[in-house]
Amino acid sequence: VTIQINKTGVVVIKAEMGGPGSSSPCASCKLLRRRCAKDCIFAPYFPPDDPHKFAIVHKVFGASNVSKMLQELPVNQRADAVNSLVFEANARVRDPVYGCVGAISYLQNQVSQLQMQLAVAQAEILCIQMQHEQPLQSHHQVLELDQDEKALLLNNNNINNCNNDNNNLGYAMSSGQFNSNFASPSSIMQMQMQMQDPLKQESLWT
Amino acid sequence: IFTIFLYLSSLFRKSVMNPKRCAACRYLRRRCPKDCVFSPFFPPNNPEKFACVHRIYGAGNVSKMLQQLPVQTRAEAVESLCFEATCRIEDPVYGCVGMISLLQTQIQKTERLLARTQAEITVSQIKHSQNQHSEFM
Repeated sequence: VTIQINKTGVVVIKAEMGGPGSSSPCASCKLLRRRCAKDCIFAPYFPPDDPHKFAIVHKVFGASNVSKMLQELPVNQRADAVNSLVFEANARVRDPVYGCVGAISYLQNQVSQLQMQLAVAQAEILCIQMQHEQPLQSHHQVLELDQDEKALLLNNNNINNCNNDNNNLGYAMSSGQFNSNFASPSSIMQMQMQMQDPLKQESLWT
Repeated sequence: IFTIFLYLSSLFRKSVMNPKRCAACRYLRRRCPKDCVFSPFFPPNNPEKFACVHRIYGAGNVSKMLQQLPVQTRAEAVESLCFEATCRIEDPVYGCVGMISLLQTQIQKTERLLARTQAEITVSQIKHSQNQHSEFM
């Protein structure tokens, strides 16, 4: 909102509203230097007050590719798609070699380390139980698992079969064995189906 | 003159249709120069690799990204771009960010389970020492 006094002394109040159909073009049309149409596909997701958001997505993916991707999606999923593209673009700019894959590699390492610690702790519990000479039934009483935790323990075995010592993606890639040492995207997505839907975590978009 | 024209056109066709062109130049239907930025990373026997990357990033963007990198890091950059492009094709909404979310959730669950297991160990150890103490008494 701007408040101005014109030559005749009249106070003029101008309020600029964002979005399609308004006088202010969206960030993408500003960058691309074109008229922002009422049905501009970018306008709902790239407001004019954040030009950096579109600039970075345009730099990595290109406006036409982003437009094509959004057009292929239902409207209710486009906001999430834009946020994930912005996240990937930021990661790629920060790390031009590995991008998001660097973060995936780091998290995979963390998962492996935690699984090893968990395996050690579980073995220790078993040793304690054996020392106490308690029957197997009481072991289940000591460690009551809910359904998610049981599924996680089962998945741990699957993950250990997928991963090997060369779990560090950077090391795997430098050794030229990227595809064989990293679980394929489709297998990771299958794992996703077995777990709760973890998506739309707010921390990812900050 | 006609035979010369035929000869020159066949030479031109050979240079464009050269079977030794990289997958990128084949896809883009252009001549593959000796210093083609794509050719070391997109061999002709794997056309899907370039198709996947081109679909998400575009040839121009990939070329720019590779040119800005030192030569020794380009192979890894291409592999990571291929991986991200594959993730995006399989999951058009979240791409590889979905995988990051999944891993973060897995980490949280494993940490909780580890904390519980370690607490159980502590409780068992305390119980055991208490039992030993009571037996001694």
